[in-house]
Amino acid sequence: MTNETSTEETVTSPAGDVPVPRIERAASSPAVNSVPNVIETRGMSVFYGDFLAVADVSLDFAKNQISALIGPSGCGKSTVLRSLNRMNDLVPTARTVGEVHYHGENIYAEGIDPVRVRRTIGMVFQKPNPFPKSIHDNIAWGAKVNGFKGNKTDMEGLVEEALRAAALWDEVKDKLADSGYSLSGGQQQRLCIARAIATKPDVILMDEPCSSLDPIATLRIEELMLELKENYSIIIVTHNMQQAARVSDKTAFFNVKLDDTGMRTGRLVEYSPTDQLFTSPREKDTEDYITGRFG
Amino acid sequence: MSVQAPERRRADFFPTEEEYTGHLGWRSRKATWFQGFCMAMLTIAVIALVTLLYTIINDSFGLVAIVNQNQPEDIVADLGYDPETTGLNGITFDEMVGLLEANVSSGVGRRLEREQRFYENRLVFESDQVWAEICASEEPPSGCTAAPRDQANVFALVQERVVQPDVIASNQLVHSLLDPGGFEDEVASGFEAGRFQEYTFEQVEFEWRAWFSPTFLLSPASATPEIAGIRTAILGSMWLVIITVLFAVPVGVGAAIYLVEFARPSRFNNLIQTNINNLAGVPSIIYGMLGLAILVRVLEPITSGDIFTGGTSPSDNGRTILSAGMTLGLLTLPVVIISSQEALKAVPDSLRQAGMALGATKWQTVRSQILPVAMPGVLTGTILAVARAVGETAPLILVGAASFITVDPSGPFSKFTALPIQIFQWTSFPQEEFRNLAAAASIALLLLLLTLNAAAVILRNRFSRRVE
Repeated sequence: MTNETSTEETVTSPAGDVPVPRIERAASSPAVNSVPNVIETRGMSVFYGDFLAVADVSLDFAKNQISALIGPSGCGKSTVLRSLNRMNDLVPTARTVGEVHYHGENIYAEGIDPVRVRRTIGMVFQKPNPFPKSIHDNIAWGAKVNGFKGNKTDMEGLVEEALRAAALWDEVKDKLADSGYSLSGGQQQRLCIARAIATKPDVILMDEPCSSLDPIATLRIEELMLELKENYSIIIVTHNMQQAARVSDKTAFFNVKLDDTGMRTGRLVEYSPTDQLFTSPREKDTEDYITGRFG
Repeated sequence: MSVQAPERRRADFFPTEEEYTGHLGWRSRKATWFQGFCMAMLTIAVIALVTLLYTIINDSFGLVAIVNQNQPEDIVADLGYDPETTGLNGITFDEMVGLLEANVSSGVGRRLEREQRFYENRLVFESDQVWAEICASEEPPSGCTAAPRDQANVFALVQERVVQPDVIASNQLVHSLLDPGGFEDEVASGFEAGRFQEYTFEQVEFEWRAWFSPTFLLSPASATPEIAGIRTAILGSMWLVIITVLFAVPVGVGAAIYLVEFARPSRFNNLIQTNINNLAGVPSIIYGMLGLAILVRVLEPITSGDIFTGGTSPSDNGRTILSAGMTLGLLTLPVVIISSQEALKAVPDSLRQAGMALGATKWQTVRSQILPVAMPGVLTGTILAVARAVGETAPLILVGAASFITVDPSGPFSKFTALPIQIFQWTSFPQEEFRNLAAAASIALLLLLLTLNAAAVILRNRFSRRVE
């Protein structure tokens, strides 16, 4: 993939009168990056109606790594995450321009069914949202709707495998028929992770998965993420800089910028290997943010 | 001027301790008044309900003055029993049939026999030759094939045709309980005033009568109040409920799912939404006119069943259960849509996102995750709407409910009557006894509604439990 094309191109807002100049890509030098990428965004901007929420994001997410998106509230990091598996399509006014490549294929190209995209790029949400069903059914359902062909035993095997992968099996193996709601918050979130894993995705997107959990539950989820990265590529949005520093391999810092017309638009400021971003950030904004001067 | 400290200025806006105490007292008094006001309103509502029930029950039970054309005691004594120990229902089946043979005209007897035979192997009123002929004809009467009458059936016939009780006056429950003698005096003075000229006061018997009784529920309608029942009306109402639900639930829930889950906000969809909300407030008689114009008249070939049965349907026009049920379905449709929409909107968005994020289609998510959660709300709204429709009278009158019908409805293409129609009919009759019948039928209607609501609660609980 050639990454350094089109540095001075502009994308145009739907009104047609607000040119959005592309900032020079802050992405890391591709020469160092020998790991293949699963997802690459190219000049991606997301609009809610006429409002440009996040502009011109070009990011590469490497396979079997944890990539973190950090930044102050309203900087569009969740919007970026939700654009990666077309969950933003569910917002009636949302519109994504630019390209998002998954293994080289633009998932926003015509003829791509978002259902197929979400099947391979799973998602875990901010608040645990298990289905109001049994623990078993919570996990089995995703496989069923995606055409799981195995019999009952195969399904039980799949459920166990997913729960083991989410480090939840030992806690729930005796109560698979209980409601998903009977679990604690941290367990519910791991159930949601197990649910996402059970459909055998390739990438797992996590939207502040620990923000409603206590520190111990958070720690367990973080350990789990490190385990999961062996088999999955993980992209995580987090408010918690320490968390990004603890788990991620690369970190993207987003910031809100006021443009000439007074619109608050999120922009990618810096994307570097995590240790580099936290120890020697290249941008002043990044440094201000990670040292706690704002945000 | 120096700048005042903002804390100081804000504190000045609050009352002093003294003012506060006074104000607090007033606030508490105001709270007490409003609590009392709300309780008074509740009391009014309860009084209204109790009055309603009192009126109905008061009319449904009580003393009646009866004149029997033939005294049961005399009949029993004539048959050689001791009237002290044996009642009319203690005589044998053959003796009952004998009584009928002796007291009923041969025309009526033949009609009864054609409806249902008395004996499996013997004819009472018809000759064997005629019987064979009519049973071999194109349309044999039901008596040719139906099982013979049983003891209870024949006993009812004896009551109706031989004893022939005539209720000449009836009294209300409370009055009967408090002052039984007063009623007798009333009837006596009625005789003195020459009101009951065909009888003498000595013939009159006073007895307790429950107008609302199992017999009342199971007997067909009749012009004679003593033996009239509401079986046809109950069956008609039940058929209407079935058709209404079958029409309103799929259409209403489907429309609600589309509007909540699939429709994108647009001017057109807003227009539809507004119209649905307004339709919920349209008077039921308007729906009746719609039903008459479209279902009964325009769609007559369908609603009369002609195109399905090739012209042999029990009704020869569109005034059928199907027309009425669909009219009631249209009437309930807006309420079903609105309550289903509310139930669907109450399902948290996080469940939709969870489903979609797993690679499910919109429909899979709605079907497996959203609908089960919304189901209790959908059911509650639906059953309340249907319960309202069951009590509707005006649209049924317009689409042509039969006012007097003794044949049980046999399917969606039958002519029919319904409980509210029957009640309406009876209240318009001059005889006092029909007022008692109307009250008793009201109890039946209320019980039917209670059953429906109970079903709603049970279904809701079952669905909620499954969802948990």
